[in-house]
Amino acid sequence: MSDVLLEARHLSRHFIVRTGNGLIRPKKVVRAVDDVSLSLHARRVTAVVGESGSGKSVLARMLARIVTPTSGELALEGVTIAAHASRTLAYTSAVQLVLQDPFASINPVHRIRHSLERPLAIHGTPHSDIAARASAALSRVSLEPPERYLDRYPHELSGGQLQRVSIARALCVNPKVLLADEPISMLDVSVRLGVLNLLRGLCDDEQLAVLYITHDIASARYIADETIVMYAGQVVEHSEGTTLIDAPSHPYTQLLIASVPDPSDPLRQAPEIEDRTGQGLFPAEGCRFAPRCPHAMEVCRTSAPPLFEVASGHESRCWLHQDAVKVAINGRGQGGTTSTT
Amino acid sequence: MTSHPMDERNLDVGNDVVLEIEDFSVDYGWGDSAVRAVNNVSLSVRRSKVLGIAGESGSGKSTLVYAATRLLRSPGVIAGGNARLTFDDPASGDAKRRTVDLLAASMSELRSIRWSQVSIVLQSALNALNPVLRIGHEFDEVLRTHRRDMTKLQRRQRAAELLQLVGLNEDRLARFPHELSGGQRQRIMIALALALDPQLVIMDEPTTALDVVTQREIVNELAQLRARFGFSMIFITHDLSLLVELADDIAVMYAGNVVEWAPASDLYNTPRHPYTLGLLNSSPPLSGERRELVGIAGSPPDLSQPLSGCSFHARCPFALARCASDVPQLRVLDDSGRKVACWLHESPATVPAALARRTRPVVAEAPASETSTEVGT
Repeated sequence: MSDVLLEARHLSRHFIVRTGNGLIRPKKVVRAVDDVSLSLHARRVTAVVGESGSGKSVLARMLARIVTPTSGELALEGVTIAAHASRTLAYTSAVQLVLQDPFASINPVHRIRHSLERPLAIHGTPHSDIAARASAALSRVSLEPPERYLDRYPHELSGGQLQRVSIARALCVNPKVLLADEPISMLDVSVRLGVLNLLRGLCDDEQLAVLYITHDIASARYIADETIVMYAGQVVEHSEGTTLIDAPSHPYTQLLIASVPDPSDPLRQAPEIEDRTGQGLFPAEGCRFAPRCPHAMEVCRTSAPPLFEVASGHESRCWLHQDAVKVAINGRGQGGTTSTT
Repeated sequence: MTSHPMDERNLDVGNDVVLEIEDFSVDYGWGDSAVRAVNNVSLSVRRSKVLGIAGESGSGKSTLVYAATRLLRSPGVIAGGNARLTFDDPASGDAKRRTVDLLAASMSELRSIRWSQVSIVLQSALNALNPVLRIGHEFDEVLRTHRRDMTKLQRRQRAAELLQLVGLNEDRLARFPHELSGGQRQRIMIALALALDPQLVIMDEPTTALDVVTQREIVNELAQLRARFGFSMIFITHDLSLLVELADDIAVMYAGNVVEWAPASDLYNTPRHPYTLGLLNSSPPLSGERRELVGIAGSPPDLSQPLSGCSFHARCPFALARCASDVPQLRVLDDSGRKVACWLHESPATVPAALARRTRPVVAEAPASETSTEVGT
């Protein structure tokens, strides 16, 4: 096990929303991220997989300290940071965030050079070094020769090239941790692998810890050393490597995998369409996935499951894995056809 | 009547084709600044079948379909070609099929065809639904315009019935778009598209903004609805593996050209164009051994710069000398009728093993399998 660079301990972020449109509007708490703990290691890619609304982006923003956690704490290289402490330059130079949409995250009215040199100046790089480090950052993301790109405007580059610029901008302050929030979902299919291979290479060659957030479980399988599945703000399954994709134990992970189009597997059954017409908020008590779960039992509706260890380094937040109730853990995509209650 | 743009004729293509697009070209802009977005494309949609169009952003897949149905706005210009829609004409009895030249049709003719014969589901349902109108209003408007004889109560009943078709409760009619989830909004769009029982439904990346579980539900629902109503569909997406499951035929577009056309399973199992092969190898698999994939080197061409030869040659791992200078035409490859635009298939000697397979390899091939002794078709 390599060194822990960034650790999140019991991070939660709750948002308060007002519902209805009358004079008295009751408050409602949305638990966007609820008690999530994870650690990012040097030379490891940790993938977080979840659908929209699962809280994965809020988690990334809390790790980058753009969003203040409601509770919980962060630890950077063993030094604990309280939830409400203000963000420091030292922290932002150690932890950098790459966003989903490169067209929106790079200022369109400035040349690429400006986008790369600005963070260097803010982080106190000596003036004489700035130009060299900006070029070096472009070389690190394989945009070569750098002079060809430095004086271009963002609209002159393709999506894949811009996302590389965005990664270069994050790299130029020499971070230890790179948080990548859906870095390939806005890119053309043919250039996605290039960006994934780049992230993998940076992680291996430059000792970076990478958090890779995605809704595409196949790309997580391609790149990850450790995989986390989030549902409704909670970690529902966690495993070393990609065990949870090859042998999913949580019904949500099974549903997620069964939903991916995979024409190479003609025997696979498409999951049943469930009735989600009454779908609204997640239940206040019990398992949050229970209303959609094909195996839901009585206990699922009354008490929330903790994470159970189903195998060494593989945890699942599901009552099915409580010792008393044993179910056959089906292989990938079978969606669990047997249930014992 | 023959001089009339809506003339009726017996097409030699038979009664099987719903939409026929021939030698179609579309430019953005005029004169010297024109950018050719769709170049000489011919495609047809068969009755009750799904045509899939796959391609990356900028490949011209949406432009082609919008232009052929006269939905393209300025500065998009149709530079040439034909587009004809054939449908059962309710006015002239069941057996009678009528063909309309879409490019020659007047605005009022288009208005009578749109939505009643051809409807469209757009990528972003949030932008496609009017945010200040309740869902019920959208249904009411469509039915009021095209079914003048329906009473208010009948329209309301028909709207409720349509919502049930897509698995939504009728109380959604009173809601505003922002009160619904992305998947629900996309279902509303599908219900709206089916409101008038059209012959052809165009789906322009309908599931791209949705997560995989919702995408799966919508795709399953579309399959059921198609089995029930038998409409034809054009499904546009960049997700080739989704298309393989859904479509009967697939056209792969690159830089404004159709580079390969084949029945869906053939295209997936035995790709013949290097770009198709690259696209298939660009999605990491969900099973099998983990190994490094390379995708396609480089990035899609800038269409505002003049291209010479095959538009894909700069990124093609198998490119020949002539690929840089001569433009390959889409031509029939073998007895199955599949088509490919690639110089590699001119002579069996130049076909790389990866593009000559007869069956899909059990394990996705490693690049080393280029040494295979297979010979081209």
